[in-house]
Amino acid sequence: MQLRNTLSRWGVVSQTFHWVIVVLIITQYVLAETEHDMPLGMARFAVLARHKSIGLTILALAVLRLLWRWMNPTPPLPDTLKPYERVLARATHFGLYFFLFAMPITGWILSCASNFPVSYFGWFTLPNLVAADKGFAETMHEVHETLFNVLVAFAAVHIAAALKHHFWLKDDVLRRMLPFTSRTPR
Amino acid sequence: MRIARVGLILPTLYAALVLAGGPAPSATPTAAVTPAANATPAAPAAGAGNYAVDPAKSWLGFTARQSGGDVDGRFEKFTARITFSDANLAASRFNVDVTTQSVNTQDDNRDTVLRDTDLFNVAKFPTAHFVTSAFARKAPGQYEATGKLTIRDVTREIHLPFTFQSAQEGGKSVAWLKGGLTVNRLDYGVGQGEWQDTSVVENPVRIQFELRLLPQ
Repeated sequence: MQLRNTLSRWGVVSQTFHWVIVVLIITQYVLAETEHDMPLGMARFAVLARHKSIGLTILALAVLRLLWRWMNPTPPLPDTLKPYERVLARATHFGLYFFLFAMPITGWILSCASNFPVSYFGWFTLPNLVAADKGFAETMHEVHETLFNVLVAFAAVHIAAALKHHFWLKDDVLRRMLPFTSRTPR
Repeated sequence: MRIARVGLILPTLYAALVLAGGPAPSATPTAAVTPAANATPAAPAAGAGNYAVDPAKSWLGFTARQSGGDVDGRFEKFTARITFSDANLAASRFNVDVTTQSVNTQDDNRDTVLRDTDLFNVAKFPTAHFVTSAFARKAPGQYEATGKLTIRDVTREIHLPFTFQSAQEGGKSVAWLKGGLTVNRLDYGVGQGEWQDTSVVENPVRIQFELRLLPQ
């Protein structure tokens, strides 16, 4: 177990960022769907507030994750990749990072536009990014949901590629992001 | 829009003058509005000026605390019959009717909840009401009104600090009436059932207003 990345393996810190964010994004989806189906009432607002707090957590983790990535070596893509596959991999990774910022920030804007304070678990409240505006809030709601659907598509490509590398190409691309697996030379 | 509202207010004001001494006319007679029986007549005494609200440049709203942050709301419809003079506080009087249905917090879900039975219950209590009974001067231009505030079916005496300033705007004499106070929403029953819980929406709510007054 090593904290920092090496050229052949993601370190514990990078792995933790990856998997914690995965779990949080799934949680976000569940909370959003739950909220959507709830009757209007206090519990529904509470679920929405929780969704926002977790979103902010993801945003903070995304910043730290990029910093950590910049301070560490990045395990390179396998040499076996065809040029278009390299482009696809890079684009998918870039997109996924993009969503880690775009989802919380559009959510934050949406919240401000609908005049809902964005509080972090009740500890502190974020500044308003935009003035309250019902029409703009509806637009941002659309953007927020559409972005999530695109995120799911990117994640599907990402997961499919990871599984292909593991089960078909039998390389260590998936394993090097998994905890508790031994470091196996390619 | 602006003309239409002024057009509404003028007859109301006129009616108030005609009916001076009787119960103040309310836009909604079924409201749980009980004008104080011993209220000062609305007729202007010498030196106490009557004012109409300029709806385009006036606002009446509140700031509540939800999930740890401030939520600003406005009441888009209200009427305020203002008689005021620094020189004649005894004859001064505020009489304000607020249409609870007109609450606007820029979110349809929240406004629906606010209008529902557990909060403002606008079907049963369409109007909130404030009427003064006494004024005190605290400092030059700064005053405190004592009056009765009715929200839902609860009437409580409040002390409302405010400022009153005459101004010339575009060659026109106007006056600005600004003030606010913090009330506990649960004192007025704004929060039945689960909304009695103050963990999501806190109990204190700041009521605020800025009224641009046109002399009549």
